[in-house]
Amino acid sequence: MRALIAALVLGCTMLITSPALADEQPAEPDGGSSETKEDAAEERAAQFVGVRGPEAESVPGGALMLGAYAIVWALLFLYLMRMRGLQRNTADELERLSAEIRASGGS
Amino acid sequence: MNRPRQSGGSTAWSLICFTTLALFAVTLYTIFVVAPVEQQMGIVQKIFYFHVPSAYAMYIGFGVSAVGSAVYLLKRDPKWDALGVAGAEVGSLFCLIVLLTGPLWARKAWGVWWTWDPRLTTTLLAGMIFAAYLSLRSMGSAGEVEKRFAAGLALFGLVDLPLIHYSVQRWRGVHPTVITGKGGGLESEMYWALGLSFIAFTGLAVLLIWVRASAERQREQTAALRFELMHR
Repeated sequence: MRALIAALVLGCTMLITSPALADEQPAEPDGGSSETKEDAAEERAAQFVGVRGPEAESVPGGALMLGAYAIVWALLFLYLMRMRGLQRNTADELERLSAEIRASGGS
Repeated sequence: MNRPRQSGGSTAWSLICFTTLALFAVTLYTIFVVAPVEQQMGIVQKIFYFHVPSAYAMYIGFGVSAVGSAVYLLKRDPKWDALGVAGAEVGSLFCLIVLLTGPLWARKAWGVWWTWDPRLTTTLLAGMIFAAYLSLRSMGSAGEVEKRFAAGLALFGLVDLPLIHYSVQRWRGVHPTVITGKGGGLESEMYWALGLSFIAFTGLAVLLIWVRASAERQREQTAALRFELMHR
């Protein structure tokens, strides 16, 4: 009989406490996050700063444009220099071959 | 730098040279004085006037390279091989200009230097194919096998060119379609600047290919002469 009463008390306790605990468990993080949100909201509100002077662009468009045009002219100039070098090498080679032909007595 | 020594070509060369120089002066004036600053992007939009015609000049270069390579494979005439080399080199130069000026605009417009957009990716692929072509041709004096293999690479690169052009329309991407597809177009002064730039870059591409092909022919002839002297 005592054992039966103890089992009933234990069963009732489990039936009552488990839903109560299940309700309570998610309540903890919710409560924490709302506090965090409040903190974040307070922080954002405290950091509003007015613009002083003219508004500056975050990415300087003028510098990027100048860079692009400089790249175009620099690459074209370098390519012309490369072709100049190529033609100079060919002219030197022709000069060397002509000298060889003259040295060997060819016409 | 010597002008190309071809019969009857000297006058045409001079004419294209002076016309191109004059056109570049007028184009720069139109871009920076006549064409208005774009409302959304600001002054960085002016990169567009050199970026797009450079892409067009890249098409000319790579297209000429593919045509020269195809004819060389059929006829084995060295002058077509020289045209193939010249086209690949000039096309690669303009491809490099496109790939360097584009990110400078993208940094402002998109907030990033590079993204794997279909048009950007296919342009990079074309640049890599023709870089492989030039690497193959620069390995000492290229023999017949290397020349034919490089010609095949140029034809392979040709397949990529329509992909670059139609990638904006076929696949979803972020690249603007202002003058192609369903783009909203430009203001009339902007069209003038772009049109003049297209003509100037066409003249420049033709001149560079012409001079480079001529230099390549002279280099090949010198190499042949040296070979003949060594085996005499």
